[in-house]
Amino acid sequence: MDLGLTGKKAIIVGAARGIGMAVAEILAREGCDLAITARSEDGVKDAVANLRKYGTKVIGSAVNVKKADDYKTWLAETIDELGGCDILIPISSSGGGMGSEKYWHNAFEVDVMGPVRAVEAVLPGMTERKTGSIVLIATTSAGEAMGGPQAYNAMKASLITWGKQLALAHGKDGIRVNVVSPGPVEFEGGNWDMIKGTMEKFYTNTLRQQPQGRLGTPEEIARAIAFLASPAASWCNGSHLVVDGGYTNRTHF
Amino acid sequence: MDVKRKVDIIRVNPQDWPNGTPAGKAEDPDHGHDIIPAERYFSPDYMALEWERVWTKVWLLAGRSDDLKVEGDYICTDIGKESVLIVRQSDGSLRAFPNVCLHRGNRLRPEGLGNTAEFRCMYHHWAYGLDGAITRIPDLGSFPQGGPPEGRLPSLPTGEWGGFVWFSLNPDVEPLADYLGMIPAHLDPYHFERMAWKRDITVEWDCNWKASMDAFHENYHVQGIHPQLQWYLDDVNVQIDCYDKHSRYLVPFATVSPRVALPSSIPPAIDHMMRHAGMDPAEYEGRVSDIRLDLQRFIRANASAQGKDFSELNDDQLTDDYHYSIFPNVSMNIHAEDIMMFRQRPHPTDPGKMLYDLWMFELVPDGEEWPARVRHQHFKHGDKSLGQVLDQDAFNLPTVQKGMQSSAFKGLWLSDQELRIRHFHHVLDQYIGGARAAQADNKQLGDNECN
Repeated sequence: MDLGLTGKKAIIVGAARGIGMAVAEILAREGCDLAITARSEDGVKDAVANLRKYGTKVIGSAVNVKKADDYKTWLAETIDELGGCDILIPISSSGGGMGSEKYWHNAFEVDVMGPVRAVEAVLPGMTERKTGSIVLIATTSAGEAMGGPQAYNAMKASLITWGKQLALAHGKDGIRVNVVSPGPVEFEGGNWDMIKGTMEKFYTNTLRQQPQGRLGTPEEIARAIAFLASPAASWCNGSHLVVDGGYTNRTHF
Repeated sequence: MDVKRKVDIIRVNPQDWPNGTPAGKAEDPDHGHDIIPAERYFSPDYMALEWERVWTKVWLLAGRSDDLKVEGDYICTDIGKESVLIVRQSDGSLRAFPNVCLHRGNRLRPEGLGNTAEFRCMYHHWAYGLDGAITRIPDLGSFPQGGPPEGRLPSLPTGEWGGFVWFSLNPDVEPLADYLGMIPAHLDPYHFERMAWKRDITVEWDCNWKASMDAFHENYHVQGIHPQLQWYLDDVNVQIDCYDKHSRYLVPFATVSPRVALPSSIPPAIDHMMRHAGMDPAEYEGRVSDIRLDLQRFIRANASAQGKDFSELNDDQLTDDYHYSIFPNVSMNIHAEDIMMFRQRPHPTDPGKMLYDLWMFELVPDGEEWPARVRHQHFKHGDKSLGQVLDQDAFNLPTVQKGMQSSAFKGLWLSDQELRIRHFHHVLDQYIGGARAAQADNKQLGDNECN
């Protein structure tokens, strides 16, 4: 099956590691021109250098999503430099945390306003060209309670709602908006890698809830994201895809 | 070293802290690469030599000065087959004597703390004053030979340093200050006297006391038994320093080991450390690898407002573990606000058993009330948890003790990371071999040139 990604221009916010990097890798391999960002300058530099091996145009520089002006400038300049944007995947997250009100601000700025500002930046161009694909990344922790009561889960949940609204509002302009909710994903340097080392019991309990007895890999999430982002998913709009290896119990009637 | 990343740990420049704990690297001694023979961990003959040439010759840790506040306060502590009473006198000085009644040999007091006006034997009520002098022998007239001619319990050397009480079974031991050597200059800046008891536990472990000393003399075991600590400390960039009898290593805390990938979120134990200092991890904008230095700056800036005087400590001491061992049997994890220390004591008769004393102290900030003395607990290995890390430390020791007695095991095969183990056994060998005898016995030496 040809995903039809060749020649598409994609922006990935949060692509220096984990799922974001895996998505970037697939899109570059499939022939997309890419613009990426992340907070770490070294991380972005290394990722750009790596992604260029597939021969497409890859640009990137570091930006802190929480700094709204810097971020908006980055988005505007990047769309310009890339020559438009067909695919947007804003994936940056401030992560979890409890015990400080500041976590709510962080999650709002990064997990919510990160995607909101990116979507607003790409919508005019997509509307004009009557084509575009946006994939928002939520979490299974939005659909099923997990961890203590915290901003991360609640803020991520808002993306599922907002994603549907976007899909309905912009479908007429040929813009598709879909949401992917990954279950626990393990990669070196990721949260579950650290949890495996620091909270062994919690980690093994989580493994036990996984029908296949392991956590997901970034690539397994990234392939689902890449599909929804691609023209091959032309009839997927407003969908919410849970990619968790069967981790959650919820049925999707 | 099996690492995933190269990590450059920034340490203080020792010259910037001329009056504090010397932070510079000491030259490594050349102790060769031979095995440390296993026999010393289980041989009754070696145990007897240790008693004769170490335990009865050196200074030993007894307890805390703040348990001996007023006249009549005493510490009763056992070492091997001996038991010692250390008592606060009316003039504020300390006296120590064997915990034994000269009549029929009964122990005067059980191990522990107390306050008394006199030590009266619970058998025939012979009584001794706080200075150890016999004050009453019931029916003295029925002893035709009179009372014991010396009229008192023998005196043992005792002294105080750093809020700790010390004693020696050697009446001719060198002065305490000479025995401690560099230790006071290194550790006085912490002001241990400002710290109060937090935990006081004795655990019976089924291993030789040296197996426990060894366990706390190296960081090589972190990757083996404390995987979780790799997201809390750097077990690779450890500075090891060996001194005359004693040794230390400096372990960077609030950082992530080069053995694991650097996470993008703050590890739980480092998060906890930041919160304890009053720093909100949610507000932190830097990278995880920057936290250690930023935390040092934060603690430095906020300490005095929190009633904590760290003016004599260098920046590294605000986050890191300065781990010292004082020969023969004290290991101390020292931090700006707390100490977690261990006193390893031999069993009176069995080289395969020991007493592990876990002592923890916490800084009492200015203006806060000195907390009530924690209760002493005593149990056998495994009966209760000591907490995750110490349970992990203890886990292997009984099987180490068993395995050491295999004819297939000749001795400890040590790495450079375990230099402190080598140094400890080198000093032990000097005592056992007699090379330190003159030092341990002040009279023979005739002066105080003990270092």
